Amino acid sequence: MSPGRPAVLGLQAVSVGALLGAWETAARAGWVDPLFVPAPSAVAAAFAGVGAPALAGLGDTLAKTALAYVLAVVGGVGLGLLIGSLRLLRDVLSPFVIALYGMPKILVLPWIVLLLGYGPTPAVVYGTIHGLFPILVLVIGGVRDVDRNLVTVARAFGATPWQLYWKVVLPAIVPTVIAGMRLGIVFCLLGVLVVEMFAGVRGMGHVLGALANGFRAPELFAATALVSAASIVIVLGLDAVNERLSRWRG
Amino acid sequence: MRAGRIALLRLAILAAALAAWEAAARAASPLLYVPPSAVVPALGRLLTLESYPDLPASLALTVREIAVAYGLAIAAGLACGFALGLNRLLGRAFGPILAALYAVPAVVWYPSLMLFFGLDAASKIAFGFLLGFFPIALAVLAGIRQVSPQLVTVARAFGARPPTVFVKVMVPAMLFTLVGGLRTGLALTVVGVIVGEILGSKAGMGALINHAYGLFRTADYVALVLVTVALVVASDALASLVERRAGRWTES
Amino acid sequence: MTPSILVEGVAKRYATASGPVEALREVSLSVDPGEFCTLIGPSGCGKSTLLGMVGGLVPPDGGRVLVAGRPVSGPDPGRVASVFQDPGLFPWRTTLENVELGLELQGVPAARRRQVATDLLEPLGLRDFARKYPRELSGGMRQRVAIGRALAIDAPIVLMDEPFGALDEQTRLLMGEWLLDIWRRTRKTVLFVTHSLHEALALSTRVVVMTARPGRIKSVLGVDMPYPRAMDSAEMVALRAGLWAEIREESLRAMQ
Repeated sequence: MSPGRPAVLGLQAVSVGALLGAWETAARAGWVDPLFVPAPSAVAAAFAGVGAPALAGLGDTLAKTALAYVLAVVGGVGLGLLIGSLRLLRDVLSPFVIALYGMPKILVLPWIVLLLGYGPTPAVVYGTIHGLFPILVLVIGGVRDVDRNLVTVARAFGATPWQLYWKVVLPAIVPTVIAGMRLGIVFCLLGVLVVEMFAGVRGMGHVLGALANGFRAPELFAATALVSAASIVIVLGLDAVNERLSRWRG
Repeated sequence: MRAGRIALLRLAILAAALAAWEAAARAASPLLYVPPSAVVPALGRLLTLESYPDLPASLALTVREIAVAYGLAIAAGLACGFALGLNRLLGRAFGPILAALYAVPAVVWYPSLMLFFGLDAASKIAFGFLLGFFPIALAVLAGIRQVSPQLVTVARAFGARPPTVFVKVMVPAMLFTLVGGLRTGLALTVVGVIVGEILGSKAGMGALINHAYGLFRTADYVALVLVTVALVVASDALASLVERRAGRWTES
Repeated sequence: MTPSILVEGVAKRYATASGPVEALREVSLSVDPGEFCTLIGPSGCGKSTLLGMVGGLVPPDGGRVLVAGRPVSGPDPGRVASVFQDPGLFPWRTTLENVELGLELQGVPAARRRQVATDLLEPLGLRDFARKYPRELSGGMRQRVAIGRALAIDAPIVLMDEPFGALDEQTRLLMGEWLLDIWRRTRKTVLFVTHSLHEALALSTRVVVMTARPGRIKSVLGVDMPYPRAMDSAEMVALRAGLWAEIREESLRAMQ
């Protein structure tokens, strides 16, 4: 019934190959304008040319993303614990948090750039804002939904309020925090890239924007593939960490 | 009583935020911090078409871009989701690829789309489509996984043929997840179109926002942002209305 | 002799969405050291509330609760250990770590508490499951872990709130036999809540029947037959019929 692994891998290989082949043929035959859609072979060749500046840009972007990510995780988890544990705070603030989470943050980007200038700071700030809210929303929900039975058990066995946090609430929300971190990293990276495209003088977003403006399609495609691969690797890495930390969930 | 107190506290927080904003704007540069007292007249000028006479045209263009992008995202998302969800081989081969692509911050595709589709509406539609497509396709996949095999077995035991099973069992059972995906898809399509417009466009709300910001007309900028926020809220309200309808239907 | 548990004239009201509910009214009860005392009564009669008061988790609205002669002001694992209907195991802890929980919360050094927990696994019948997580255990095993967690802190009083309520009939009977064996060896004071007539009569030295809401004590039945009890003896069948008559009346009232 269930398709075997060879069939799945075969289909994946064949379809990716067919896509690249069709694309290459179309570009060589002149069915598409190679100025806009370069052949895969041209993109591969462009890696050499764009490699160094793209890697430098990627490094710059990832450094800003890392800083924004740390701030977003610390802020999101800390605020989430605070708001999630205090019923009144949660009831009062939840609609604000949800509303801010749902708003397209790009609308405040011009103002942030106006305020903070053209440098790494707006990218870090905007990346942090972008990553903070999904983590915050998840952690508030995670704390709210901690199994009340476990809290009762811990109290019956004499847990102090401090122990309730360390031994019950924190371990219970680990999966939520990791889910938030997985979502958060994509959001942080997205935020940093947007700022770099909008107002960057450095970083991968700026590199992509400049390549597009210069109509250098092969280099643009190569750089896009590079940053995509980087983010996939990061997310898969977080998934692997998640898997190891939550054997108990089965 | 408790609900009243909570509402009061929320109002107090809003009022305090506005007051702090006003105070900061007066103390610091009002060019950077537009005080709420200056936003109201700017909003008035905007809505009476004094400051930006092309507001209706821009708003209409943005709404049109969103509508087209969302329509395409629904069609492609449903088609792709059902194809991968109902066929095991396709699902196992392309499901992981879809999930991996979803892990890429979509904005990296935008320069390529701009290069290919140009600065006009097409690149915004393409980007909005791309953002809206994933949650819809993934919701269909999740929804299909949620359908209890028990229900399908019961329907087939009573002689239902596959099309009937699809219409009478699968769609109702997955409807809530599906509608949730459609709502998220709309929200992301809206974000995509607005992001696309702000990152580079000649028309639409994003272009107006960029114009106001570029000329340091910050009060106008804030007013334009408020109008765009209203558009976002309206679209989400519409989606949530549909979601509630679907919810009531699945419960009964 | 000071009673292990002394409850005097306690009352409890809860505020609910549909108005205040009186859970307990004027309940008094005394349990001597080493007794196995069972509370039985219709659903919602306040048995769990009463247990919560003794465990220090629910403050009474009136009256007083003494444990070993001292008033209860909050959870006191030094004197009272609790087992709940939902085992409430920590899903991220192994069997061994769950059994250790109470000792860990009281700051017992790791090596010592590991020793205590390991020694308990044998009588719990969980020796081969020390490193398993709760999701890998059956319902009966999970409840044994929860009982082990209560036994590990070695409090003189154990409160059990329908510990076998969620188990199937066969497992339930076996768990009852197992618990009886443990109790006879440790001689702890047990205050036990159940819906099962069989469980009450097979295990207890005394059965306390409670009324429908508001919960009061309807009658107290001493059972001084030797263990293990022949449940089909004429004497036991008569006891059971009498007990059922009392409970039936209250259950019918509770259903109205």
